[in-house]
This record gives sequence, C-alpha cells and structure tokens, in this order.
Amino acid sequence: MKKYLNIALVFSLLSFLGACSEDTLDDINENVNDPTDVGSHLIITDVMTSTAFRVVGSDPAFYASVYIEHNVGIYNQSYNAEIRSGEPISSTTYNNSWGSIYENLYNLNLIIEKCSEGGSEEGNFHTLGIAQILTAYNLAVLTDLWGDVPWTEALQPGVIFTPVLDSQESLYQEIFGMLNSGLENLNKETNFSGLGSQDFFYGGDIDLWKKFGNGLKARYTMRLSNRNAAYGDVISFADASFESAAEQCQYEYVDASPFYQFLQDRNYFGASQSMHDKLADRNDPRDNVFFTGDVFAPNGTPDQVQDQYSKSAISVETAPTYLLSYHELQFLKAEAYVRLDELENAKDALEEGIIAAFQKPNIGLTAADAEDYFANEVESRFDSNPLAEVMVQKYLAFYEEEAVEAYNDYRRLVAMGDDVITLENPANLQQFPVRFSYGADDVTTNANVREAYGDGSYVYSEEVWWAGGSR
Amino acid sequence: MKKVLLALSFLMVIGLGSVLAQAQTISGTVTGSEDGMPIPGVSVFAKGTTVGTVTQLDGTYSLNVPDDADFIVFSFIGMETQEVPYEGQSVIDVTLVDEAFQVDEVIVTALGIKRERKALGYAVQDVDSEEIGRTGNSDLAGAMQGKLAGMDIKPSSGMPGASSQIVIRGARSFTGNNTPLYVVDGMPIASTSYYDTGNSVTGADISNRAVDINPADIESINVLKGQAAAALYGIRASNGVVIITTKSGANNKVGKPVVRISHNSSFDVVSRTPDYQSTWAQGNYGSYVPNTSLSWGPKISELPNSPTYGGNTDNAYTQEDGMQQGKFYVPQLAQAGLDPWKEPRVYDNWDDYYQTGYKSTNSVNVSQAFETGSFAIALTNTIQDGIALNTGMDRWNFKGSGVKELNDNFTVGFSSNYVKLEIDKLSGANDASLAGVLSAPASYNLEGYPYHEPGDPYSQIYYRSMTFDNPYWIAQNNTFNEKTERFFGNGYVEYSTNIAGSLDLDVKYQLGVDSYTTHFQDIFEYGSKGGAGVMDNYGVSSATYNSLLTASLNWSLSDNSAISATFGNELNHEEIKTYSEHGEDFNFGGWSHIQNANVVTADEAQESERTVGFFGSLSYDWRSMLFLNATGRNDYVSTMPRGNRSFFYPSVSLGFVASELEPVKALDWISYAKIRGSYAEVGQAGNYINNYFTKPDYSGGFWTGEPIQYPIDGVNSYISNNVQYDPNLKPQNTTSYEVGVNLKFFNNRFGIDYTYSRQDVEDQIFQVPLAASTGAAGLVMNGGAVHTNTHEAILYATPIKIGDFTWDIAVNYSKIDNVVDELASGVESIFLGGFVTPQVRAGIGNTYPVIYGASFKRDDQGRVLVVDNPGAWNHGMPEQGEPAVIGEVSPEFILGGTNTFSYKTVSLSAVFEWKNGGEMYSGSNGLLDLYGMSARTEDRESTFIYDGYKPNGEKNDIVRGGVNDPDAIQDLYVNVLSNIDEYYIHENSFVKLRELALSYKHPTKVFGSVDLGVSVFARNILLWTALPNFDPEASQGNNNMGGSFERFSLPQTTSYGFGIDVTF
Repeated sequence: MKKYLNIALVFSLLSFLGACSEDTLDDINENVNDPTDVGSHLIITDVMTSTAFRVVGSDPAFYASVYIEHNVGIYNQSYNAEIRSGEPISSTTYNNSWGSIYENLYNLNLIIEKCSEGGSEEGNFHTLGIAQILTAYNLAVLTDLWGDVPWTEALQPGVIFTPVLDSQESLYQEIFGMLNSGLENLNKETNFSGLGSQDFFYGGDIDLWKKFGNGLKARYTMRLSNRNAAYGDVISFADASFESAAEQCQYEYVDASPFYQFLQDRNYFGASQSMHDKLADRNDPRDNVFFTGDVFAPNGTPDQVQDQYSKSAISVETAPTYLLSYHELQFLKAEAYVRLDELENAKDALEEGIIAAFQKPNIGLTAADAEDYFANEVESRFDSNPLAEVMVQKYLAFYEEEAVEAYNDYRRLVAMGDDVITLENPANLQQFPVRFSYGADDVTTNANVREAYGDGSYVYSEEVWWAGGSR
Repeated sequence: MKKVLLALSFLMVIGLGSVLAQAQTISGTVTGSEDGMPIPGVSVFAKGTTVGTVTQLDGTYSLNVPDDADFIVFSFIGMETQEVPYEGQSVIDVTLVDEAFQVDEVIVTALGIKRERKALGYAVQDVDSEEIGRTGNSDLAGAMQGKLAGMDIKPSSGMPGASSQIVIRGARSFTGNNTPLYVVDGMPIASTSYYDTGNSVTGADISNRAVDINPADIESINVLKGQAAAALYGIRASNGVVIITTKSGANNKVGKPVVRISHNSSFDVVSRTPDYQSTWAQGNYGSYVPNTSLSWGPKISELPNSPTYGGNTDNAYTQEDGMQQGKFYVPQLAQAGLDPWKEPRVYDNWDDYYQTGYKSTNSVNVSQAFETGSFAIALTNTIQDGIALNTGMDRWNFKGSGVKELNDNFTVGFSSNYVKLEIDKLSGANDASLAGVLSAPASYNLEGYPYHEPGDPYSQIYYRSMTFDNPYWIAQNNTFNEKTERFFGNGYVEYSTNIAGSLDLDVKYQLGVDSYTTHFQDIFEYGSKGGAGVMDNYGVSSATYNSLLTASLNWSLSDNSAISATFGNELNHEEIKTYSEHGEDFNFGGWSHIQNANVVTADEAQESERTVGFFGSLSYDWRSMLFLNATGRNDYVSTMPRGNRSFFYPSVSLGFVASELEPVKALDWISYAKIRGSYAEVGQAGNYINNYFTKPDYSGGFWTGEPIQYPIDGVNSYISNNVQYDPNLKPQNTTSYEVGVNLKFFNNRFGIDYTYSRQDVEDQIFQVPLAASTGAAGLVMNGGAVHTNTHEAILYATPIKIGDFTWDIAVNYSKIDNVVDELASGVESIFLGGFVTPQVRAGIGNTYPVIYGASFKRDDQGRVLVVDNPGAWNHGMPEQGEPAVIGEVSPEFILGGTNTFSYKTVSLSAVFEWKNGGEMYSGSNGLLDLYGMSARTEDRESTFIYDGYKPNGEKNDIVRGGVNDPDAIQDLYVNVLSNIDEYYIHENSFVKLRELALSYKHPTKVFGSVDLGVSVFARNILLWTALPNFDPEASQGNNNMGGSFERFSLPQTTSYGFGIDVTF
C-alpha cells in the first residue's frame, strides 16, 4: 500500500512542477482577447474619428459655443459655463477633451514610429504624412485652447511621469514643421497601399490630404497674425487648398452628430439672443433656419429650466464636423485681403464664403439666397467696415459646428485690437474665459501642469501667447 | 461553541429517549463542587449505548441502564465530564467540577489543519450556527455584522441580493480585492463578483458571489484575520480567510436519521424615511412650472392662483375650459387624457411607492451518523420580494456531504453544493430608478397620475424631463436581473497510519471544483429616458479547479513535547469566459430583445490563471505551555510577468500559556492566561498582460449611450489601450506582526482577548493614474505603501448565572487605522469611484479611502467665506473653493455587542453595533435640498444669514432672503450649495440594533419524537445616526468605494419576522 502511495506522491509532485513552469504559465496568461499589434491603417481611422467627434466636435465646441454666444447654456454644466460659475475654471471641465487629444497624439506617434525609419512599415510615406498632418491638427487645437502644454516630454508612459510644458511659440514651430514634413511625405512615392475605406475623410486620396495640409497652414499662419503677420502667405496657402466645399475636410455622421447627440442626451442649450440679434439686424435668412422658435435665452442670465427657450434647429443627426471647411478658407482669404487692403478680392472671397456657408447640408439655403443676401445686406456693411463684416460673417457661418474656431478668432481679434464681434454676456466684463483650464488628469498627477493651473483663475486673465499673453 | 454543544447534547439525549433496552433503573443527584447546588440539564448516559437522559431542575435523574453497560457518563457544558464505572448500583450521585478551561477545543486553521485553540500564536475568531441563524438572515455578510472584531462589513443597501464589502484589518490594495478568501469545507471558492461596479454611478448593483452561500447550511465560521494565520494559503490569503464548515451528520449520535425542517418569514420596511417639506409646489423661483424637477414653486395652496396654470386666473387654459375655482392645471393629466384640473393637495410620494417586502426561507435537512461515517443533505429555498417594486430574489441551495471510513487507514468524503439564484434589482445614481420616488414634488401625485400616454405604454408621462424614468414605468418596463447557477464541492481520500510508536502519518488528497455561470440583463426598455432603449446582456462562466495534497506527521517526543509537520502542494486553476451583447435603439416597445435593437455590438473574452503552491508547516508544543509554529509557502502564479512569478512567504508564531506556570495556577481568580505573537509575510499578485490594442470606446462624458460605435460602415479601428502594463511588475508584499493576550477570570465568567496588529504593505500593485500628457491613462505597476494599525478586543462575560437564568455578554471592538503612506512618484491620488468630482480616492497621508471634491472657499483660518458683492445674485453666499479632500470614510472605531439572556429554553438576544466616526458623500441629502424637497427648505420666507465670514475677516452679517429677496433661498440651494461637493458630506456614525431575537425551544417532545423551536426577531433597527434623512448603510458600489458614496441609492430596510424549527 505504502509503495503505491509513494509512487503516487512522486508522480503528482512531478506533474505539479510541470504545471508551474514559465512556459506553461506564459501559455496560461496569454491574452487571447486583444491584439498586441495592429497595422497603422487600423489605428489611424479612429484618430480621424476621435479628432472630429471628440476634439473639435463635442466638448470643446459645446463650451466654446457658450463663450462665443452661439448658444446659451441653460442647464447644468452649460448653465454654469454661461453664468461663469465653477465650470470655466475647474480642471474637470475639459478633462475628457484634454485626454482625448493626448490619446490621439499618442496613437499618431505610434503610427509615425511604425512608418518611419526602422519601423515595421518603413516607407509607408502616405500614412506617415497623414499622421503628421493630424498630429499638427491635434497639437494646434491643444495649444490654441490650453496655451503652453506638455509636448517634448509627453507621450512616454512609464518613462516620464511629469512632462514639462512647452511654450506655445515653440509648439507652433512644431506644428508648421509637422505640416511641412507631412506634405513632403505625401509627395513621395510608396509601395504601401493607400488607406482606402480606412480613411474617413478622403478615402485615401492623397491630393486632397495635401490640400488639407495647405489649408491648415493658411489657418495657422493667420492665427499668428498678432505675433507675426504674413497675410500674403495666408492667401497663397489657401489658394493651394480646397477648390470647393466638396474637398473640405469634414467628418460625416450617419446618426450621431455631436450637437444632435448633445441635444438628445443633455438638452443644455437655448437659442442665443445675441446671435439672433446679429442675424435679425442683417435680415439674414438664416435667422429663420437656425432656431426652433423665437424664445431666445438672454446671454448670461437665462433661467436654469430646460425646454423653456427655443433651441438650435440645425443640431441634426447628419450635421458634419468640419476639421477645415471651404468657407473658412474663403473667410481667411477675405480677412487677409482686407488686411492687405485688397478690398475687391476680399469681397469676392467673402461672398464665396457666404455662398458656401448657406449651402451647408443642415442650412439648406441656395447660392441664389446667398447672393441676394450679399447684395442686399452684406455688401454695404462691408463697404463701411470691411474687417468687421468679414469677421461677423465668419462668426455666423461657423454656427454651430465650428465653435472652436469661432472662439479662436474672437480671442485673436480682441488681441489685435479688432473687437468687431460684440458679445452680450454681462459677465464678460470681468470673466470672459480667454482659455481653457488644464485637464484634471494632469493637474492631479503632473506637478508641472498643476503649478501652471494654480487655482484656475488664470483662465480669466492670462491670454495665450498668440493672443498677446505669455503662456 | 458551547451553545452548539448544548444543543447537540440535547438532541442526542432526545434522540435516545425512545430506544429503551430491557434494563435496570438507576437514579441519583448531580451537584456542583463549588456550591453544592444541584445542576439541572446534565446529560447522563450509559457509555457505548444510545441510552441517556438529562437531570431535572432539582438535579435528579433516573435512567434505565442496559445490563451490559460499563460506565455511566455525566457531562455538562463548562464542567469536566465524569465517567462512573457501572457495577449494578441503583443510586449514583455525582459531584461535577468546573472545567478549568476548554483545553480541548479544536479549531480548523489554514488548509484544514486542526489545532487546539490554545496552541495558536495568532488571533482567530469564530461564529457558530446559532449566532448566524438567530434572525434567519439569508445574507451571510449581514449575519456576521457586529459579531467579529477587526472586520468591517459594509452592506450596500437593503435590496434583495445587495452586495456587501467585507474587509478584515483594513485595506491592502487600493484598487484590487481587499475581501477575504472564503473556504467552504476545505475548498476555496469565489466570493467576489467577476464584474466590478467601477465608478458605481451608472446601472445597478452587482451582487457578490458570497450571496450564494446559504447561512442556514453553516455549522461554524472561523475567521483567520491576520497574515500569520493565513500564510499557508499563500498569495490569496493576504486579506484573511473565512473558513466555513457546513452542517454534516458527523456530530449526530450514531443511529437513526435526524430530520430538521425550518421556516423563517420576515417583513421588510424602509429603515428610514426622509423629512420632506410639504408646503411648496413644483416650480422655479416661486412660479409653478409643471415640468421642472425643482420644487421651488409657489405654496401648494396657492397653485390655483398661478398666472399660467391656475384655475382662478385668466390664462390660456381657463380661456379654453372656463374658470376652475380652487383648482390648477396639470398638463400631465391632460397628456393622459384625463381632467387636467386638480385641487391642490400634498402627496407623500415616498410612502406611496415603497411596499412591505417579504422574505421567507424554507429548509429541510436530513442527516445521519453511522459507526463508520455520516451523511447530510439539505435543501433550502429563500424567496424575497423587495420594498421597491419589481425587486426580489429566489435562491435554491442544495447540499450534500458524506464521510466514510473504508478501513483502519482510508477515509473518503465529499461535500457538494448546488445553488440556483435569481435577483431582480434596480439601478442607482445617474440611472436612478428611484430618483422620482425620492424627490417628486409634493404637489404631484406620482402614484396616482398615469405613467404613460393612453394607448402608448412607451411614451412616459412624468413630472420632469426624462433624465430619469418614472419609477412606476420602470417597474413595468425596465429590467435589471441576474441569474446564477453554481456548483462547488470537493471529494477527498485520506490515509492515516501509525508509522512507529508515537509517530502518526496522515496523507490527504482533495480535488474540488467551483463552477458558476451568471447571466445579467440590464434593460432600459423602448421609451426609457425618452429614447429608444438600451440593453445589455452579459455574463460570465467560471470554473476553478483546486487540487490539494497534504501530508502530516505527528510525533509525540515525550509526555511534555510534540512535533507536528505538514507538507503539501496546491494547484488552483481558473478558466473564465465572458460574453456581452449591447443593443440600442429598439424598433418598438414590448420586445426587449437583442434582435429588436438596431445597433448591436458584441464581445467575448477568455481568460485563465493558475497558482501552484508548495508549502510546509512545522509546530512544536512544549508542556501545553509553549507553542511554536513556523510555515513557509512558495507560490508560482501565471498572472505575473515571466521571471517574476515565484514568491516565498514565511510566517512564525509563538503562543505562551502563562496559566500553566505553577505560580499562576495557584491564583484562583485567573482561569487562563495566554500571550501570543506572530510575524508573517504574504503577498498579492497583479494581473499582468502584454500591452495591447483595443476597440475605441466613446461612452462616458456627456453621453448616455455610446455615440460612436465600431464598426462604422463596415470599417473597424483599434487603438493602443490607454492602460499599460509594467513588464517589471513584482508582487506586492504585506509584512505584518501581531501580539495578543487572552485572559479569563473567575472560572471563565469573564474574559478578554486583545490583539494589536500592524501591517505594512509595500510595492502595491495598482493602475497608477498617469497624466494624460504621457499618452496613457494608467500604468499597472508597483507603487505606494499603506499601513494599518489594528486594535481588536473581544470581551465576554457572564455577569449573571443564577439557576436557570444566564446573562451572557460578548463585545467586539475594532479600531482600524488604515493610512496611505506613499503612492508612485508623481501620483497623489488614485480614483476609486464616483465622478470626476466628487470622487472616492486614495490619497497620500490620508486614511483609506477619502472623498475628494469641490470644497467651500475658506480663509486662512479655514472659515467658510461668503461673497461680499452687494447686488450680485450670490451676495452673502458661500463659494466653491479648490477641490480638496472633503471627507474621510473610515470610522474611528466599530463596537459590536451581543447580549443574551437565557432562562431554561427561552433566550432573548440582542446584537448592537455602533460605528463611530467616518463620513460619506450623501448625494440624496444634497439633491433633496437642490430639488427643494427637504424639510430644511420648508422655511422660504424668513431672511437668512449664511454662517460664514466675509473676505474682510468679519463674521457674515449679510441678510438675504425674505419677502423682498425671494429668489435668494433658491439660489443658495440650487446654484450655490449644489455645486459645492463638501456640502454633501456628512458624518455617518450610527448605532443600530442589528438583531433582536426571542427564541423558545419546547423542553419536551411535542409529539412522538418531534422537537419544536420557535423564534421572533427583528433586524437592522436604526437607533441613531449622525446622517440626516437616510440610513447610512445605503450606498453605491460593490468594490473598495463601498459605503462611502451615495446618490439615489436604494434604501436600507428594517425587518421583522419569525421562525419555526421542527426536528424529529
């Protein structure tokens, strides 16, 4: 009996030892549910979606929309933003967007590494170029809204825990550098197949990506006008960009545009009184298109009650998110021409911009409507104050998907002494948020950002560098 | 323990009464040695037979003794058993002496090793079946509350099957599991849910797997609290071990089967109802607004004078319907096609909604002991209808166990349990099912007004916007359900032999399995929140195999010393498969099925993990006075990176029974004295995997669903997972020591057992939150340290023992200081749950966990500042300050106490629990103020001065409110305080009467061989709490944030019930 027992003991001990060898345990711990690597074409698709939906389409646009008075925040967070209670300075307000941008930048960085020398897709120049353009885009949104932000030490999880901030000035050099390398790479020949359907913007059409890259150079050149005006460059970059609205960079939704979804899920907006006033003043046909009714919420002092005010009528399912629209380019050119005092050219570009804006899918007006409007209302205003009319028309055209860019324009204009867009929120006297507050994920874990954040009140006093500030 | 023995001896005696052999009668009197008084209830039986009786009140007995009897045995609890040789005497008088103490009480320690209690160098505490079952609690965690020192048991709510969090001696892991290992009949089983409620602000609670255990099946629970006690279990034991032994037939008297049938019924009511205001109607700034969530409208009595909706005024509605004196227009009634004109009155929506819950447990247990073995089978059904509509539980437990001695050397046995469980729940926080019940305006008849439009059951009628559903609509339409089927059990073969003289060998091999499948359904029916519905079907199948081989040697070196050694191997292997189906946007209502959803996503995952351990234990006993024990275990785990998988954990302990020393023995008043100390290291492994890519997730933030879902038009995308894994991960290590003393005085009438323990946890494994700018959200790595100082004291006393009357007291005191010493560099806090603010987190230098959120703006002296800006709407009101730690969750101490009064077979017992200190985020309290429904907001006409200081340092004297400033009071609650999280923080100390039970056992047979016991009881009677309006034991989450964060959580209950117990 004992003999058998001993044999059984020895056997079982041996099998138990085998049961815990490193190879066996590796097999057991293998993750069969997720891939440890995927091709760059599978990564870049979501960077596009995220850039559109999260970065410029939703939270930043929703808050910018309130500050810029495209909409009036009438409930909860949007109401708090409207009355400047808590939200504009809190580090939690924009935390999701802050995180989304860095997530995009991290994934773009993976793509750039893959497609660069020594990477697994070395020579995939077109995907590399697209990734660089998207990097420039995300980085620009980041620094436009938040000012100085981590970049050179960023994107190294587990290596650098507390990245330092880089100046906005240096970030803009990086942005132009990225755009230039991106365009360079797009001009190279590659044996890798194009992105095709993985490219939600252009279906892999490299020429359109180049136009988008040039358009961005126009936008960012204009952005730095207060620091380094180069209006001629704005015009030449814009001329190398989209030739029609069909070429603009936009993300199309089947059933979930961010503003539509925000209305469905949150219902935090009322129609803006000051927006309506500007339209009504011009007999603008869009006054009858933009809103669901004529109960306008007073800017800065609405009641916190849902469904009491009219709302946006263009927050529809299929409203696209524009990364860069054809009409924006026209307005950029119009402004550049105005500043160069080439008023006829400016007028042409302005009219072209208005025509394009009238025909956005959720506006549904015609070119003829726009031409009538231009002739009857806009032209005379342009003649008396060209810059003001160009910028106000751009501001109206941006309703409501392009609120982030409207917010950037407003701050730049104020910095340049061209306070041509009138906002009515009485709180602006003391508390116009001139920037977004840093994200809580960094404020709580990165001492460098925490120091920059302080108590958050800097958002009311310290402009970003291109708007004349120091950080 | 004593009570069990008493009950058993009682049963034994009773069972034997009927088997009377032809014999001679003996009689006599049993008295006590100390006082010479007669002792009733002493069991008297003839050794080796089934013949016995008990002594009467006057200590006398009479027994028919079979001729072949050799000894008559006299035994009584707390006294030394006497055997008197039987040589045909007809009178045997006996004097029993008090037992010095129960030297031979044997308890089960780690890995089934049985040790005498006095030999232990660490603290263990046990609870017996009577203590567990006294009030028929079907929830094991609840049944243990107040009965164990060093344990913090936090129930989440009074809903059927609600999760609870049990933590012994503080937390060791920030975000991982801190709950003890459960071992049932030698087999470790799952006690936590596979699914974590995460942030715990959406969806429904998820019950823990400990809910599968049927308290009625439990014979005893033994809790190994410290690391030294548990070290033999290796990496799984750092949180302590709850060893459960189920009822078996082994303790029966050999003979015929014993059948026990029991029934419990209890009735549940809401333990606490908030204080509501009953003056003000739905509305905003004094005007009636029929679709707002706020009750800041006019006086209810003034509703007929509302300019827009009043029946007394000229408005659109009276122009249509004519003047309606004394009435007001309710659009919701118009929506329902009913007469919209109502006379105003006050409705009690809270009381209208809650019903009396009912719970019943029915159980049949059959057991029998033979000469060479025993078996037991039991079937228990527990059904429960909750206090909230459409909540309930139905649980079936079927268990069987048996032991058989095959021959002198071999024994085989098994224990098996099958559980079938279904729970219907409700959702809380952002998905609150009961938001309307809590805060519907008093002017709105939530129960009486229809909840859907006529002819369209999916268009809700509600008093407010569809952020939340109408609770009556929910009861008919939404579903939060979980169904579990589970089997756990093991079989073993044991070989025992005497190798030589005083050397015994015992080899045991046990193979067990714990296998369960749980299916969940969370359905927001078509029409929920005004949308087209969302559903989630998901579930988990888990099978854990446990193989355990132990070999023990016992060697008596001499009369004075003995050595025992145990060596063994354990293999634990788990296979898990999960699935999920998410559907959105139903085509139509009434068919909440994945096939009816227009957007469907699905996922599945498979995981496995293995732990292999080799262990040894060596103990040395000297003169029953000095006990030395050392253990070691080496574990290999699959869930760590290659090269970092093997860890060794040692423990040593020493027990010294000072009362064995001659000088101490001489002291009459000391019955027992023991000093003990131990040291141990145990660890916890992480869950390491290689970094991977994953499908993007767009849920969260402003979105109620997931606004973007891949594949989009047939195109997929994968991004780097935002949580990464450190390839240098090593196991976290807990070093602990404890010292304790156990003293008993005056013949065990009074005793104290005190333990101090210190734990230091280093290299904690957790997902270190990274700055978003690093490109990832978190890194699973080592970082951080936490320590715990625990003082536990158990006090027991028998202040009165006169004749048949006994008063026993047992008190458990726990003071646990659990402090976070450090976190990974650059990390100051770890998010555990809640919102961005307020959130529950672990923070450096804070106790664990704390609540973090927007604080009041304060001056340098920490005084609340108010705005001094005449003309501003918030003039004279406080302001939001910087986010900060605003609440500490841990209590100062917890004191539990049991008083038992027994007279003959009647006993009255009461279990109290006092939790002193600790705070929670009480979302519902703050929301009641925001909505204008709390009694605090009743007075809206007086002026007020907010208690604070002006920026210039003067005490605030700014008068706001009153007739000329009517909006101020609403601004204060709705626009100021509601945005300051600190306002929602409340101390939640409480005193509860956990259990009150009166039980009676009929002293004689009621019929044939039938015994009867009955009891009446009450549970969870809230006597006092510092928390306003709500029971402090209702909160969100089944994880480490449990007990700290409440927001529209489901309420706690108080139960009243009775039980009947029949044995034959």
